[in-house]
Parts: sequence; structure tokens; C-alpha cells
Amino acid sequence: MTDDLIRRGLSRRGLLQTTAGLVGGSMLPAMPAFAEDKPAIGSYPAGVSGSTAFIGISVPRTGTYAVQGEDELKGYQLAIEHINEGHELIKKISPKTSKGVLGKELKFGVADSAAKPNEAVQAQQRFISENKAIMITGGTSSAVAVALNKLAQREHVLFVCGISGSNDTTGKDCVRYGVRQNFFGQTAAAAIGPVMVREFGKGKKAAYLTPDYTYGHTVTKSMQDFLATAGWTTVTNQVAPLGAPDYSSYLLNVANSGADVLINVNWGHDAVLSTQQAKQFGVLDKMKLVVPYQVPFIARETGGLMQGVYAATDYWWTIEDKFPLAKMFNEAFEKKYGYKPEWGAENAYVSFAHWAHMCEQAGSFNPPDVIKAYEKGETIPSLVGDVHYRPEDHQCIRPVIIVKGKQQKDMKNKEDWYDVVEIVPGEGLMQKPDAFGCHLGDYT
Amino acid sequence: MLKQRPLLIETLTAIGLIVAPFVLPHLGFAPNTVNRILVWGLFGLGFDILFGFTGLLSFGQSAFYGTGGFVAAYLLTRAGFSNVLGALIIGMIAAAATGYLIGLIALRRTGIYFAMITVAIAEVFFFVEFNPLSDFTGGENGLPGVPTPSFNLGFTTIHFTNGWSLYQFIALCYFIGVIIALRIVRSPVGAILSAIRDNPLRATAVGHNIHGYKLTAFVIAAAYAGFAGGLLGVLQAFMPPDAFTFDTSGQLVMQTAIGGRGTLFGPLVGATVWLFLQDFLQSALGLGAAWKLVLGVVFVLLVCFLRGGIVGGLVDLYGLMSGKRPRKAAETEQAEVEMPRQAPPAPMHAKEVEHPVYSGPILKATGLTKRYGGLVANSDIDFSVDHGELRGIIGPNGAGKSTFFKMLTCEVAPTSGQIMFEGRDITGLKVTEVCQLGLTKSYQVNQLFTGLTVRQNLTIAALAELRGKFRLDLFRSLAGVKGLTEQVEHTLALVNLTRRADTPVSELAYGEKRRLEIGLALATSPRLLLLDEPLAGMSPRERVETVKLLKSIARGRTMIIIDHDMDSLFELVERVTVLQEGRVLVSGTPEEIKTNAAVQEAYLGGVHGEIAA
Amino acid sequence: MISWPNLVSQLFNGLALGALLALISSGLTIIYGTLGVLNLAHGAMFMIGGYAGFVTYQYTESFILAVIGGSLFVMLLGVVMERVIIRHFYHRPHEDQLLVTFGLGICFVELVRLIFSSQSQLVPPPALFQGITNLGFMFYPTYRLAVVGIVAIALGALFIILYRTRLGMIVRAGIEDSVMVDSLGINVYRVFMVVFGIGAMAAGFAGIVNAPVVSLTPGIGDDILVQTFVVVVIGGVGSFPGAILGGLIAGEIISVTSMFNPGYAYVMLFAAMTLVLVVRPHGLLGVQGRE
Repeated sequence: MTDDLIRRGLSRRGLLQTTAGLVGGSMLPAMPAFAEDKPAIGSYPAGVSGSTAFIGISVPRTGTYAVQGEDELKGYQLAIEHINEGHELIKKISPKTSKGVLGKELKFGVADSAAKPNEAVQAQQRFISENKAIMITGGTSSAVAVALNKLAQREHVLFVCGISGSNDTTGKDCVRYGVRQNFFGQTAAAAIGPVMVREFGKGKKAAYLTPDYTYGHTVTKSMQDFLATAGWTTVTNQVAPLGAPDYSSYLLNVANSGADVLINVNWGHDAVLSTQQAKQFGVLDKMKLVVPYQVPFIARETGGLMQGVYAATDYWWTIEDKFPLAKMFNEAFEKKYGYKPEWGAENAYVSFAHWAHMCEQAGSFNPPDVIKAYEKGETIPSLVGDVHYRPEDHQCIRPVIIVKGKQQKDMKNKEDWYDVVEIVPGEGLMQKPDAFGCHLGDYT
Repeated sequence: MLKQRPLLIETLTAIGLIVAPFVLPHLGFAPNTVNRILVWGLFGLGFDILFGFTGLLSFGQSAFYGTGGFVAAYLLTRAGFSNVLGALIIGMIAAAATGYLIGLIALRRTGIYFAMITVAIAEVFFFVEFNPLSDFTGGENGLPGVPTPSFNLGFTTIHFTNGWSLYQFIALCYFIGVIIALRIVRSPVGAILSAIRDNPLRATAVGHNIHGYKLTAFVIAAAYAGFAGGLLGVLQAFMPPDAFTFDTSGQLVMQTAIGGRGTLFGPLVGATVWLFLQDFLQSALGLGAAWKLVLGVVFVLLVCFLRGGIVGGLVDLYGLMSGKRPRKAAETEQAEVEMPRQAPPAPMHAKEVEHPVYSGPILKATGLTKRYGGLVANSDIDFSVDHGELRGIIGPNGAGKSTFFKMLTCEVAPTSGQIMFEGRDITGLKVTEVCQLGLTKSYQVNQLFTGLTVRQNLTIAALAELRGKFRLDLFRSLAGVKGLTEQVEHTLALVNLTRRADTPVSELAYGEKRRLEIGLALATSPRLLLLDEPLAGMSPRERVETVKLLKSIARGRTMIIIDHDMDSLFELVERVTVLQEGRVLVSGTPEEIKTNAAVQEAYLGGVHGEIAA
Repeated sequence: MISWPNLVSQLFNGLALGALLALISSGLTIIYGTLGVLNLAHGAMFMIGGYAGFVTYQYTESFILAVIGGSLFVMLLGVVMERVIIRHFYHRPHEDQLLVTFGLGICFVELVRLIFSSQSQLVPPPALFQGITNLGFMFYPTYRLAVVGIVAIALGALFIILYRTRLGMIVRAGIEDSVMVDSLGINVYRVFMVVFGIGAMAAGFAGIVNAPVVSLTPGIGDDILVQTFVVVVIGGVGSFPGAILGGLIAGEIISVTSMFNPGYAYVMLFAAMTLVLVVRPHGLLGVQGRE
């Protein structure tokens, strides 16, 4: 055993000298010895020394993102089930998988993050220290994702990001120990922007409703930057805290701003409430609504207010006509849960499948090896065609799907909320790897 | 709980902290949970000094927790500062400075207003963190990436990484926190803080600047909060925005009340219970979200039935089991009064006179008038007392005697008129300053520090004289205050309470409380002592005793006494002033007063019957 | 960049918010003024009013019955709370009163969370008030408009109770001088119980009336409680007119600041409170009395 243990040994002795044994430094619970030849790092190999591997999952189950969090959790559970049983769909994405990952059965723990970084960090610290989690996941709030990024880097446990739309997650707050599958502010803006310019024209006035954290700030920034190239101006940007109970004063400002288009960046229940209230305050009659980062279930929850509204998303189930893997996923998901999956579940499923793929490729759970497997940038399947992870910032390069809310009369069934307008390939949407200030940090 | 046995608690704490990593894992505590408990415990040490010891219930501690935490985290994550301990200390100083400014506003009021203001101020901090300062605090994102501490000792570098390794660092911080807190509560300042909790009015009257001491407690609590906030960031690798929320303050209050206020270790115990139940109820019993309901119910029950919380309850239980402190108030009093007094203690000397050249009357009031709205309590009183004089004041009920005394001791400001004490104009001064000059009074209705023992009561009064009205000797032990023990023992002997020195005031008999009331005034070594009905409510035998006591006090001291018991009073004093309807009716020797027709008239006109006695 | 239509809109919106705050604060302040107890569970009362109304609505589908059901339930809860717990705290220190009401508030919130989960619940506005009203200078949801009227009526009713009935006379006398009331030979405890019930009902009524405006969550009362403190401190503790004035001032400060930057709305609100504390420590309409 190597550096790590030696350092621990030294620290013990040093502490004895400084505190004269006051705190009992010399008698720390002993580190278990491992037979593997890889150095111990993070929860490796302690977490995979038995026949199972543990995943710590923190999703919001209460608060403003609860609905989306529950959906995301279903995607994780389905993926774990499929991986453990060696389901056909998993084998399409990760051909080397037989049952489990590297023969280990996956176990998991779920904690409610309430979309609060503090809750998520506390829960994941518990999963890491008590359950020796080999991988952690969670999101549905980029603030959570960023906090878990940093925790993962410090604890040397891989973080496979859940829903997170902020540019910072794989930008200025990127880490070596974090990877992200889903689309984000920059790619959303680059994909939906041209559609908006085509549809509404150049030189329009836009009003923004922005949630006050990294996701909102960066998505709004990306939208503003892109639309500025088509001569659009921002007449007002209403920044509201997460979980605001009432949007009346924000919406009055929007209503009196003279904007042509309302770009609602709010998410989760905030998006539902602000859209409903926008209707109540007459805002939707004055201007067009655009949702640049689609919110799962918003069409159903707003009761038809998404009709004719453009949105960018990671996944919409009707693309199954074009992508056979999507069809398999939709069927498996609907069979288990009784409804069509939204993109939170899709992202959860695919990111786990990709992780399983990378572990199998690396032939080990050893985090640096798994990370290097991601960094090879190998082209791998997803539900929306082939994708790859960019080594410089660990962002998956994948298409963005532009949808438009259907009129009620055109809906073929009760879940047929959107028309798929366009599937925009990922390569052209991405910023330069260093544009958002990403420095990945060390492997150890 | 906090007995004065040297270093006992410190040693026990150290042993506990050393043993914890070996015992707690078997009880199902993960290192992270233990670290978290210690951070709450450290946070709570300061809060307990504020709430448990000083009696100020603040719901706004999150403001300081967040301030300290974010300053430290900002330095470490954004400003390129690499010294973790240094950042923690800077965070602590920032929190203390903030606490000072907030204290200036919040301490303008007491009680419920204080609680509401602290809530509101903490909310301001929350919104300021999220908006104007979000560039520094990360707003909703918080500040991720806080490093763990490491120390370069030259020959080697110590890293405290996580789990039990980080525990060593946090436990050391907690230990130092405990030592400092113990020093503070055992210092003269600590004694005065408890006095403020028990009876702020009397603490002021014996000559302490309680506003200054309250502010001190507030700043201490803020400093602890700030340091703990910084540790939270280090513990989590992340400084959460939630640190600033009202929930944080509420959780601290609840943990302190559950564990036991005024015990220093209560918050630690409370945090243990809290985090244990959170874990246990959620995972073991599968209660899910109901855990907080269970905690809420536990909390309400404790507040209703076990005011001292868990630690307080254990202490009571221990007291009960070991049979200490049998309650024997009344009987002891009887026995003691019967007992022949040992050799009378030497008279206690008044404070040295600062300007010996002054030789006029010690007290001279001219044209003293007090109006309450349309009601005139005192009207145009001229009054003068000479050095060494023993003056009595009598008058029917409602004659304005007590108001007159309150003006003389500057408890209430006169509407007009002037008061000179030893040739110095004291009109408009505060009661604290006047007491420091050597003028104080004993109250008509007992104003004691009811939660403390007799000795502690007198200590607080004596401290005012020995240390002045405000002094920050936070780390000096009470035993280190020169002359304190002598003065307290002497006062105890004078008021004949030596045998009851370690009895809590609540267990004293009425006569003993009256004597302590006089003792409190006496322990400040006043040159002019005002006694407002010292004999009120006493049995005839007690009166005889007390008159004897007053006589012995009077040697070398000027005294003014109000009382209705004229026989006793006339035996005691040299001159008597009679007040009627807020004016001076007549002054003279007891003989003259007894035979004065106007006085007879005044009393017969009144309803008080004691003139006949 | 002041836009006049926007200023008028925001002022109007502030009036709506202020009226609601005024009603809740009145409940808090009359309880405090009469009993000397600051009820930290007052926010929970507001929340429970909403949920009790929500349940009533589920069974009856009538909004009017929901309002009545919500208010009466909270009043009953207040009476029970006073009889069973608060009564034993009149002679204990203020800190204990604060602690026990704070703890009860947590229990109420968590109990509701247990029963209804954290998911938000919706009470639809009554059919009569659905839709949007064009006020000429702005569009305003009809129900919000109605809330202003409903709350004004409720405040009027409180005014009548406080200033035109024997109970109100006792309550107001108690606020001025509790000792005097004690000596009147009135059954003070019965008065206390009724006052606690009325004060709680004011919060509960506000809770159900406000329910269609925002969705119900168990934590909805927490923020309101803090805002209520600010209102009471600005207006003067124990003063009914002070609560109304404070409520309107608070509503307008929040709304007008929101016009420039909603993020600063609460910062400004608390700044105003601090200013009042420094300039008039007893509040705008408060008198020196209880602490």
C-alpha cells in the first residue's frame, strides 16, 4: 500500500506530537488492508470488496422539484434493475455487461435532497462513509450538482450527474470526478435560438424569468448571448428565488415591460406556477412564451398552457419512430411505471448505462481508470443516437431536441403533448472546451 | 453541574472526546455524524452563554453562523487563501464584529421584542446573502470546494482529510471552545451574566453596566457561531446557503432546550439526540418525514415538564439520588434565629471617600419634584443629610416616600430639582453610575437573584464595587478578584447568613431574604445606604434582630431608612423627616416628631394604624 | 426607469399583499397585547387554515364552506391550545412561552406534512371570481381582487369586535394595563381563551382565503410569520391599528422595491423595520408598555 497510507501514518504521528494524545489520534480505527494491487482511493476498493457495489442517489422528493425528482428516481431504479438482470437494452449500450457491473450486483440508497445542496451533500457524505458508495448521483438542481461535483473531487468518488442545466457543471465548476450526460444552457440556447429567430423574427424584445442560482443565471446568459446575435434585446430579467410562493410582482414587471417574448427559465413547480400566474396576469395574451430548458410534466401540470410553446429538451418519447433504443426504453418504462418517460428518467437511465459501460471498459471500479475510460471519447450508443464524452470537460456531446406544444385537438393520446420540431446534432452546439473556464483537477 | 472543582470538567471532556471514536461507531454513529454533532455543540456553546447564562433568547444565530462560514469559505475557495485555521479565525472575527453591530440594535429591547428583532435581522442576512452579496456567497449555489485543514510543521505536514481524521481537528476545536467557555462562565463576567438573567433590574442597581455585558455575551455567541459556521464548510467541503436560514437558528434553539440550557454541554447533547433520532427514526424505524414531528413533540414535552432539558434533568436526578440539598428552609431559619450570635463581626467599612476635602452634607436635594402625567408624586422637596447621620423617613401611604428614594438613587429622573451627592451633581445620572459613586438602596420588595445561592448573590454585588461598572476580565477566575472573598464573607457575617451561604435563594425563609436584600446593598460598600422598609413583613423577633443588624451596619456609614414601624425606627435614627402628600411636612429628632401635632394629624387623617403601635 | 403603469400596478399589488399581512398580524398582535404571549405558532395557524379549508373543499366542493370550515377549525385549535398548554405558561418566563409556541408550530407543520406530504395542494378559487379583470391600467386576477375585499371585510369585523363589544373593551383595556383588568373581577382566563381563539382564527381565515392565490405547502406559514413580526414591530406590538398600518406599509415596500429588483424587496422591508426601531422603538402606533 502506498502514498495514502503513508500519509495517514505520518499524520497520526504528527498529531500525537502536537496534541499530546489529547484527541486520541494514535488510536484511529484501523484501515482495512486490501489484496488488490491498485492503490486505495476514495471508497475503492472498500466499496467493492464484497459481491455488491453501492450507489448513493440523492434526488429532490420534496420541495419545488419533487415531481421531477421522483421521475428521475424511476429512471435510476429501472437502470439498476436492468443492469442487475443484464437486460437487453443495457447490453445494447454496454455490450460487455452480463449481470451487474463487473459481476457485482448494484445496491443503492436514496435520500431526499429537497433540491438543496446542503441536504444532498450531507446525504452523500453518509452514503460514502457508511455505505462506501462507489458512485454517487443526484441533481435536478445545478446547485446540488456543483456541490456534489466538489464533494466527489474531494472524496475521490465518481459523481455521475443527474439533471443539471448549468453551464458551470462542466464549465467553471467542472471536476475530474464528475461527468454529465444531459444538455445544458449553452446547447439549449444554440439549438432553440435559431428556431426562435426563424419563428419570431430578428430584433425582438425578450423578457426573462430566471431562477436565482447557477442554472438560471447561465441558461439566461446563454440565451441572451445567442439572441443578441440576431439583434434581440433583453427588456427585463426577473430573477426569483427557488421556490418563490408568488410571482405576481415579477409578472407585473414583465407585463409592463413591452416585451414580445417571455423566456421562462424557471424549472419544476416554479415553472408551473409562474406560467399559470403569467396567464392570470394577462402576460401570455400579450407575448409569446418560450421554455428553453423543458420541464418534465409541465404540459400536463399547466393544463394546456404549453400549446404552441417552443421548448428545448433532452428527450421526447415520440422520437421512438426514429430510434429503436428509445422505443425499447419507452416500452420497458411504461410497463413498469404506467406512463411515458420524460427526459429526467431518460437521462438517469442513460447516464447509468454509460457508467456501466465505462466500468466494463476499464475492467475495474478504480475511479481513475473509469474516468480515463470516459476520457477516451469513444462513440457509444444512447437513446438518441450515438454520442461521446468530451475529455476536456467530461460533457457528453449529444443532440438537443426542439419540441413545440401541440394544440389539444391534434393530440393523439393524453401524453402526446409535443411535436418534435427538430433534432439538432450536438457537435455544432458545443462551446469550445475552455470557454467556460473548466479545469478538471487531479486524478488522485 | 459547573462545580468549581479544578479542571474536572475539562478532564472529563478530554476523556470523552478521546474515547468517542472507539465507542460511538458501535452505537451506530458514523464519523461524519459525530463531526456534525461537534460543530453544533461548538455553535451551541456560545449560544448557551447567551441564552442559558444571560437569558437572552435569540432566534437569529444563523446570521453569525453564516457570516463566519461564508467569510471563511470565501477566503478558502475564491480568494486563494490556503490557511484553513487562519480563515476560520478570520471568519470568527467577522462574525463577532457583525455580532457587535447587530447587538447594538437588537439589545435596544429585551424579551419578546429582542426575539422578534433577532429573527428579523437573521432574515435580512439571508436575503442579503442571496442578493447583494451573491457574488461573494454564491447565492443559492453556496460555496463548494472548501478544503480540509493541513498544518506544515516544517518536518512534516499533517492533513486532516475526512471521517475520523477530520474528527481530530474538530474535536480539538471543540475542546478549546469548551475550555474558553468554562473560563468565561467562571469569570466575574460569567457571574454577572447569570445575574442579568435572574434580575436585570438589580444587576443594574448594584452597579453593573448590564448593556455592556449583554453586548459582550452577544458578541461571544456570535464568535462561537462564526467559528462553527466555518467548520461546517470544512466538514462538508461545501458552504451551504442554508446556513443562513431561520431553520438553522430554530434547530440550535431546540437542540439547546432539549439538551439543557445553562449547562454548556446541553447543545451537544441536544445535537446528539437530534441527529441520532433523525437517523434512527428515518432509517431504522422507517418513519421517513415523521422524524421531525417526533422531535417536535419531544421538544414541547421537555419545555413543558423538564425545563432544564436532559442535562438539567440528569443533574436534578443526581441531586435527588445523592440526597443532597434537603429542603429545610423554614426550620433552619427558626433554629438559626434562636441561636446566640457568635462574636459580632467587625463593622464593614464604606468605600474610601474620593474627595476627603469635601465636608458639606453627604446628600443635598433641592426643589425635587416628580410628576406622572397630572399626578404629582413629589413636590419641591428640599432635603439634606450629613455625613454619618442616621435619618428616618416616615409618612402615610402614598406620601411619595418610595418615589423620593427612586429619585435619590436615580432610578427615576426628577421632573425638576437637583440632587447633590458629596458635593457632586448626580441629577440625571444612571442608577449604575450612582451606585458606583457609593450610593445605593435596598428595595421595599425583594429584588434578589433568585436562581443563585446567597454567596453568589453577594458576590455579584461585591464585584460591582471591586471591578467597576464594566470590565472584560473574561478569563480571570472569581477567586482571582482581589478582596472578593473577604468582602463576601464579611457581608455574609454582617447579615448573619454565613451558615446559609450556599443555599439557593429560592429556599430561604422570608426573614433571610430580607437580610440578603440588605446584604446586596451592603456588599457594594456604599457610603450612603438607603433602606426602603427593611422591616416590612417581619415578625417582632426578626425585627429586633434586624434593628441590631442595622445598628452594626450604621457604624462609619450614612443611612436613610423608610419604615412604618416607628418604634423601631425611632430607636434607630437620630433625625426623622416626615413626608406627606409628596411634600416635607416636618423634620426633627424622634422626640420632636412624636409630639408634633401636625404629624399626629397626618397619621390620624391617614388610614395606617401602625402609629399606635 | 420608472414606468408609471408599472408603479400603479405594483402599488395595487402591494395593497393586496398588505391587506393580507394586516389581517394575520392583527391576530398575532391582539393575542400578544392581551395575553402577553407571542405566539410563534401563528404562521402554522395560517397554514392550517389553508389545509383545513382544503379538506373541507374536498368534501363539500364549496368555497364558502371551505372558508368557514378552515376558520372555525383554527379557532377551535387555538382554544384547545390555549386551554391545554399556553395557560400553564402565563407565569413562566417569556423565553419558555417562546420555546413552547415555537415547538408547537413545528409539530403542526410536521403533522400536516405527514398527512398531506410536501406536495403542494391546490384550492381553486370560487367560480364567481375566476378569470381576469381588466382594471384599465392593468390586468389583475379576479380572485386576488376579491381577496382585497374579503380581507377588508374581515378587518372590519375585527374592528367591530374590538371597538364595539364588551369583549373588545376588555381586550383593549388589557393591552393598556393588564393589572387593571385583573382587578375588574372578570374571568380573565375565559377572556384569554376567547382572544386566543379569535387571534388564531384571523390567521386561519387569511390562510384559506389566500390558498387559491398560492399553492398550499406545509412550510407556507414560516415566511409569513417572519413578515408578520416585521409588520408588528413597525406598527407597534399590541396595537390593532398599528398592525393594519404596518401591514400596508410592508406590502407597499415589498411591491415597490420589486419594481426595481424583487431580490431586494425583503432587504428593504427589514431595513425599514430597523429604521423604525431606531427612531421609534415602540413602533409607529405602539405605546410603551409590555416588553
